[in-house]
Amino acid sequence: MSFWETITGSDLTRQWKAFDARARALPAGYRAAWEQIKGNLIPYGDFTGRNLTPILDAALGLLEEASADGQGIQEVLGDDIPGFCAALAGGAGARTYRDRWRAQLNDNVARRLGRLGG
Amino acid sequence: MEDLTEMLKGTLEGCVLEIIGGEETYGYAITRRLNELGFADVIEGTVYTILLRLERNALVQVTKRPSEVGPPRKFYALNDAGRAELATFWAKWQYVSSRIDRLREGGK
Repeated sequence: MSFWETITGSDLTRQWKAFDARARALPAGYRAAWEQIKGNLIPYGDFTGRNLTPILDAALGLLEEASADGQGIQEVLGDDIPGFCAALAGGAGARTYRDRWRAQLNDNVARRLGRLGG
Repeated sequence: MEDLTEMLKGTLEGCVLEIIGGEETYGYAITRRLNELGFADVIEGTVYTILLRLERNALVQVTKRPSEVGPPRKFYALNDAGRAELATFWAKWQYVSSRIDRLREGGK
């Protein structure tokens, strides 16, 4: 990643474009699932969303392999796409806004308690 | 048998390790194997998230192989850490199942 890319996020735009190009090659049901996966993963993104690209790449890889096997999307992902996305992102140890808020809250509470306890 | 999802949750990872331990294999084949065993509810997405976790925890060795159709497939084999994890899984399973059996037999 170059400095320019870090500042502008141009590498991200390029990666997302590449993902969409790959997704366009998938059958319709898979494309719809891909849109849902993207939507469900966004909340797990960090400030730039850079942590999502390997996760999205992995998810797209699964869709590509599965469609090449001729499986239906239902067989692959069932009806719980949010759950699938949570498992993908959670396993990645993706630090999300929520985690950071929690950590902050824990720190604050610990500090207060420390002060009270003297 | 249906609605096994909740019960399987903690054990599916061990089942996947066991299947990979038998021979190097890939996601779709693992799912089919579990389905054949009678775990009809297991879908490829579930297996895939387990495989990613195993990969991240460095328990498997991953090789990409070209396939006849579509993109190259990821094949999984156990490494030493994976074999140790599998042994731990069976030890835990043995513990849990023996206690549950004892409970059913009347707490002797």
